[in-house]
Amino acid sequence: MEKIILFLTVLCCTLSSCTKEKTDYEAEIDTIVPERIEFKEVTNFKSGNYTIRIEALGGQLYKGYNQIRLKIEAPDQPAPSTVTLLPILTDSQGKISSCPHRYEQLYQAEEGYFEGYVVFTEESRNTSHWDLHIGFTAAEQLHSNSQRIQVRPQDNKNLNMTSFTGNDGEQYFIALIAPQKPKVAENNLTAGIYKYNKPKALSSSSTIDPAQFSYSQVEGYTLQLDPRMPEPSMGNHSSPNNKDLVQGTDKLYHGVVNYTMTGNWTLNFILLNHQGRIVKGTVVPNDFTPGVEGIKSELHIDILF
Amino acid sequence: MNVVFALLLGVCTVNAQDNLAQRDTTKILEEIKVKAKGKKKIKTDMKLAVSVDEFLASSQSISFIKRGAYAWEPLLNNMSSERSSITIDGMHVFGACTDKMDPITSYVETNNLSTVDIKSGQEGNLHGATVAGSIDLQRKSTAFGLDKKVTGSYQTGFEFNNKQHFNLADMSYSGNRFVADGSISFRKAKNYHSGDNKEVKHSQFNKFNSSIGLAYKTGERSALRIDAIYDKAKDVGFPALPMDLWLSRALITSASYKQIFEDNIIQFWDTKVYYNTIEHYMDDTTRPENLVHMDMPGWSTTYGLLSKIALKRGRLTSEVQLNAYDNLSIAEMRMYPQDRSKRTMFAYSWPWITTRFAGLSTSNSLDLSDKSHLTFGGSLGWNYNYSKYVEFNKIFYPDAPQKKNSILPSLHASYHVNVARFDFSVGSGYGHRAPSISESYGYYIYNSFDRYDYIGNPHLKNEISYEINATAGYKSNKMGIQAKVNYFYIQDYIVGRILSMGSPMNYQSVGVKGYTALDHANILNLAISTNYDILPHLHWKGTITYARATDGQRGNLPFIRPLSYQTSLHYMYKRFGIQTSLNGDAVQRDYSPEYGEDKTPAYQIWNASADYVLPIQKVNATLQIGAENILDTYYSTYADWGNIPRMGRNIFTSLKINF
Ligand SMILES: [Cu+2]
Repeated sequence: MEKIILFLTVLCCTLSSCTKEKTDYEAEIDTIVPERIEFKEVTNFKSGNYTIRIEALGGQLYKGYNQIRLKIEAPDQPAPSTVTLLPILTDSQGKISSCPHRYEQLYQAEEGYFEGYVVFTEESRNTSHWDLHIGFTAAEQLHSNSQRIQVRPQDNKNLNMTSFTGNDGEQYFIALIAPQKPKVAENNLTAGIYKYNKPKALSSSSTIDPAQFSYSQVEGYTLQLDPRMPEPSMGNHSSPNNKDLVQGTDKLYHGVVNYTMTGNWTLNFILLNHQGRIVKGTVVPNDFTPGVEGIKSELHIDILF
Repeated sequence: MNVVFALLLGVCTVNAQDNLAQRDTTKILEEIKVKAKGKKKIKTDMKLAVSVDEFLASSQSISFIKRGAYAWEPLLNNMSSERSSITIDGMHVFGACTDKMDPITSYVETNNLSTVDIKSGQEGNLHGATVAGSIDLQRKSTAFGLDKKVTGSYQTGFEFNNKQHFNLADMSYSGNRFVADGSISFRKAKNYHSGDNKEVKHSQFNKFNSSIGLAYKTGERSALRIDAIYDKAKDVGFPALPMDLWLSRALITSASYKQIFEDNIIQFWDTKVYYNTIEHYMDDTTRPENLVHMDMPGWSTTYGLLSKIALKRGRLTSEVQLNAYDNLSIAEMRMYPQDRSKRTMFAYSWPWITTRFAGLSTSNSLDLSDKSHLTFGGSLGWNYNYSKYVEFNKIFYPDAPQKKNSILPSLHASYHVNVARFDFSVGSGYGHRAPSISESYGYYIYNSFDRYDYIGNPHLKNEISYEINATAGYKSNKMGIQAKVNYFYIQDYIVGRILSMGSPMNYQSVGVKGYTALDHANILNLAISTNYDILPHLHWKGTITYARATDGQRGNLPFIRPLSYQTSLHYMYKRFGIQTSLNGDAVQRDYSPEYGEDKTPAYQIWNASADYVLPIQKVNATLQIGAENILDTYYSTYADWGNIPRMGRNIFTSLKINF
């Protein structure tokens, strides 16, 4: 009897083991969506007695939205103030330009760092490079520095960005900020919307003039959202219960996007100004068309998870 | 696997012979095994060798949704399978297919069953909450200490229409202290042909099933029994669905301990723990015409406990049963993009749903006089659901709770009386059922019948059924007639309704439906059956059934059987038996376009068979040959998914040997 029971137990174990493994759904998203939670040092340099540390999520800078922390340290030296940051791109012809950023950094007293952000519009290449111009005042003395940094291509499509010229002739930038790692769920979608402030007068000076590179956060606009799967076999599939992005108290734009399954999605946008006029974007068809690739809005960002 | 099983049988027999020596007085345990011999055998009027589905189809109260030639979904009282409690020896097993390719009835085989116990309505609440009733598939279990120690049977046969051949064997050993039952079966069929002799593609199937049961007497009046069923279906076509089945495996195990009490109020106490696990892998690589390649695997694992006490005191007999189980059902859906280098698209169609149930039920019979008795019972259950990835459910229902509890009460009573040759009964019932996991938490489950993607609604309330039923019968030496009627008023009846939001995910789909509840539905079932012995060896039988079901707003419910009839003649002469039958449905007058139905025309099928008992000593061998749908009628019934045609003329042969 014992033998039989033992034999049956062994048999049961072999029979009850699965032929195909279950999908590890969360791990599968991890393999394709890098998530960076911790701020790490990107680089550091000296300015007089001061050591300036540039920190970003994961210790790297990427095309798209980057939150930046500056730690300016020096033992027994007066605390720095009025910290400014200006990213400058120099192309192969030596022409310089910038990208959306916060110029005057906010001091976070508790944590002891200065906080800002940069939306890099392209990655560093052999022919073009980015420099961060960092200035601060300490003991009534102005320190200005320039530090070459490496901007990597964005490897997380959920943090993609786009730039365009609106129907009002202004130059706009939309960068995705959250979620870094979406789920098949209702996701709170956060984006930054920026605008290039055209300078009143062209600068003639050879030194870099921050007024030439002024960007601001767009106020009071609405970003209408229509997420769809562009894959032909998905037939222009969409999801319910999405919410358009509107500006929050943090000046960023917040909405809700539902992803019904993993894969490629297109966030189709229409940007409306305060009067409700279309700045950019087109209405996409909403019919179900299996076998046909989904038509995208002229203003859209592709994501993948 | 087959080798392993043969080996296993061998081991059992050898061990059994060791125990054979002791020949003590203990015949007490003879009745330990629930089902006495001589119960209704697993066969139909027409066929000696049938599948479980064919056998169930011979019941008046069961109809089937057919998606092919295999694994028909049983409808009890014209209600879909989530409304009935389908169990194997009281054990709950949950299919692992979101498309209902695997009703529980597909995991057993006729040669490991002794009988199928069908109860209508709330009378079927002993094993768990139900609305429509219960179907309990009862396994064979041989009694201890039978005079004939070794018994067995073998069935083989061939069906010409779909080139199905089957081999079923079972063997039992009955010792004084040890009992063993074993069965093994193979079925293999190719595509069948419809009435116009067109091949119905993707209708093949392959099934292997085996079971073993070992019982050991632990004392004068107690015994321990372990049972296992292993079932494997491979390469099964579902012509009505856009996918086939690559592989489905089930392992159904239990261990039970039974104690008999003598001269006491307590008759016996039987406690069983069980475990079963199912894996189910669909396959669409057989359908190159599909635009999207998908993988849709599913798993279902259940642990359970069942404990039953039988009591008798004076004129009252009672059964009290405790049921508890825990099930985890998982179904995945992965779609492949046309450019296979791109990322696949993944979602759960059952996002890891746990169901827990615990309930106490009782069923009693009180003899009021020699001629009348009252049966009554009730149950109280607790049902709990948990969705691990509730974020899937929140997409359509943003405030979907992750956990849900509900209480499921049930009551029933009926009065039975005999007056001379007449017998009558009237009864009533009330009961709740919790929504099924697909109804509550299903996610984009494609229904190829109405071509909608279905979304589960976590806010659904329990369905509440109020039922009344009555029977009247007359019996004489030569004839009998019986009429049964039941009526269900079901509050919060769950159906799918088009959702105004979302868009289809499956490319064949035309829209998205969500489950919601009708205020109420009405279902009426009526059946009249008669038998008449024209000559001592010539018997006639006839049955008519009628059903009507509405959604409470004069709309029809789907899958309701139209007026149907069956009439058969059976003639016996010495070793010969000849039978012929005619059955059909009237035109489906009350169809439901809202749920994707169209009007199914009437049809009539003629069948005949002849059998011969071979003149061999000691063994009982019967040979049968017959034909179903002799006139090769092309037809499809009201419950054929997507109007797939049924089988055309089918000549069948079988040989059955009992020893
Ligand atoms: Cu399936």
